[in-house]
Amino acid sequence: MGQVVAIGRVGAEVYSVWISERKISKKVKPGQFIGVKVPEREDLLLRRPFSVADVKGDKIQIVFRVVGAGTAKLAHSKRGDKWDIIGPLGKPAPLVRNKSVVVCGGGVGAAPLFYLTRVLQEKNRVVVLLGARCAAELVMVSAFRQLGVKVYLTTEDGSKGIKGLVTEALEPVVKVMESPVVYACGPEGMLKALCPLSERVKVWAFFEERMGCGTGVCYGCAVPKKDGGYLRLCQEGPVVSLDEVVL
Amino acid sequence: MRFEVLLRDVKFPNPVLAASGTFGFGWEFLRVANRLGGVVTKGLTIAPRAGNSPPRIVETASGVVNSVGLENPGVEVFKREILPRLQRVKCPIIVNLAAQSEEEFCELTETLEPTPVAGLELNLSCPNVKEGGVAFGQDARQVEKITRAVRKRTRKLLIVKLTANFVDPKETAKAAAAAGADAVSLINTLFALVLDQDGKPLLGGRTGGLSGPAIKPFALFCVARVARAVKIPVIGMGGIKTGQDAFEFISAGAHLVQVGTANLVRPDGALEVVKGLRRMVRIRGWQGWDDIRGKAGEGCFS
Repeated sequence: MGQVVAIGRVGAEVYSVWISERKISKKVKPGQFIGVKVPEREDLLLRRPFSVADVKGDKIQIVFRVVGAGTAKLAHSKRGDKWDIIGPLGKPAPLVRNKSVVVCGGGVGAAPLFYLTRVLQEKNRVVVLLGARCAAELVMVSAFRQLGVKVYLTTEDGSKGIKGLVTEALEPVVKVMESPVVYACGPEGMLKALCPLSERVKVWAFFEERMGCGTGVCYGCAVPKKDGGYLRLCQEGPVVSLDEVVL
Repeated sequence: MRFEVLLRDVKFPNPVLAASGTFGFGWEFLRVANRLGGVVTKGLTIAPRAGNSPPRIVETASGVVNSVGLENPGVEVFKREILPRLQRVKCPIIVNLAAQSEEEFCELTETLEPTPVAGLELNLSCPNVKEGGVAFGQDARQVEKITRAVRKRTRKLLIVKLTANFVDPKETAKAAAAAGADAVSLINTLFALVLDQDGKPLLGGRTGGLSGPAIKPFALFCVARVARAVKIPVIGMGGIKTGQDAFEFISAGAHLVQVGTANLVRPDGALEVVKGLRRMVRIRGWQGWDDIRGKAGEGCFS
């Protein structure tokens, strides 16, 4: 059981929740996620998977966009509410040292990359690129800036930062770096756009997908592998080397 | 009271089993498995199967629709890599078998006969594969033929898993019993179609199987109906997530129950059912499962 200690709207239909949960906060690593049962909604059976955006002491943060009845209910939680959560789930993201790292987030996909960036920037040179459709959909920008890393912004409508897609902005940044490593999280279209790059550069993709159990038993969160068969995002992911999968 | 249930010569420490496809092969959550009545493994085929294309699972009102398509590593990998791990599981292991022909079922059975698994569950009811699966289970003659062929090749506890999709499970259960099955289990998931906002099938496998609390009343009906029709034990399943749910299936005539979808919500979902049943036994003061088993069915189907 976790307890909601802070909840707030941080963007268009995007909410940040800090949950007090000692066991999970002690163990969770960047890239891992939790499974949250929607309270008071027995008809919504399955847990909602959320990547952990940050950890502070006994508390973990998740940031999510309202996409359906479950996330809508969770967004209406109040401070002090109890949440039935399990975790940490999934494999931690592989962490590099002494590298040039580009962190690339699309929309609410910026959130899972925050904890990662905070950890990576201690031992790497990190550049952050955050993109969204418009300025209102950029999330956690000031939090990233407070880490002291260089943050570039893109919006499709040009309302903030560079006009265009974050993946387009990524190309020239990567080009001038020596053996860079990219960590990316965003909608499937964005990850798809990074596939050609992943053949030249290591790209670790954070997947945000529909899941059944989150614990490896239902084989629901399958992603096709390049060498045949499927991997389970909740077990072999949710952070996957982009050159290993077919999107 | 004695909590265990004896099915032929296999002693289940309690009446609650984890259902196939919802609990891995049994070693993944060892601490949970060791407190269950038994574990039914993920469906096993002769050759490895990649499974259906995603998406494979979607939530619906009080239910889950899946179209996993029997992804599994095949029987050889099972014997070599998984079976040794199952030695640490204390409760009986039932291997769920899936095949596209009678010959394949026989081959699987012969391969597993020398292994220490406690029993076999013939999956004659999977809705998510193109060949075999539910088509066998919809035809009482096929059920009888396959069961008889497998029976000849195994001394293990033989369970036939039935479907209630467009077939009366009473008839197929009778066929399984006549062919020598030790028990029947039901119901497998119900045929389901989920469409997206454009009116197109949402699942990669297009259609799927519905499970969870949404199907419980129908599953109970089927179990009560079958339990009155056959003399062999019935294993009931369909939307069980509490001790009360399990009690209801036993009241409908089940000897054992299986918990499926609830395991996806929490890895100890089946254990919650065991605990709930234990509480009920303590409070209600039953002396044995015979005190409650089948009592609901009296008068239901005359």
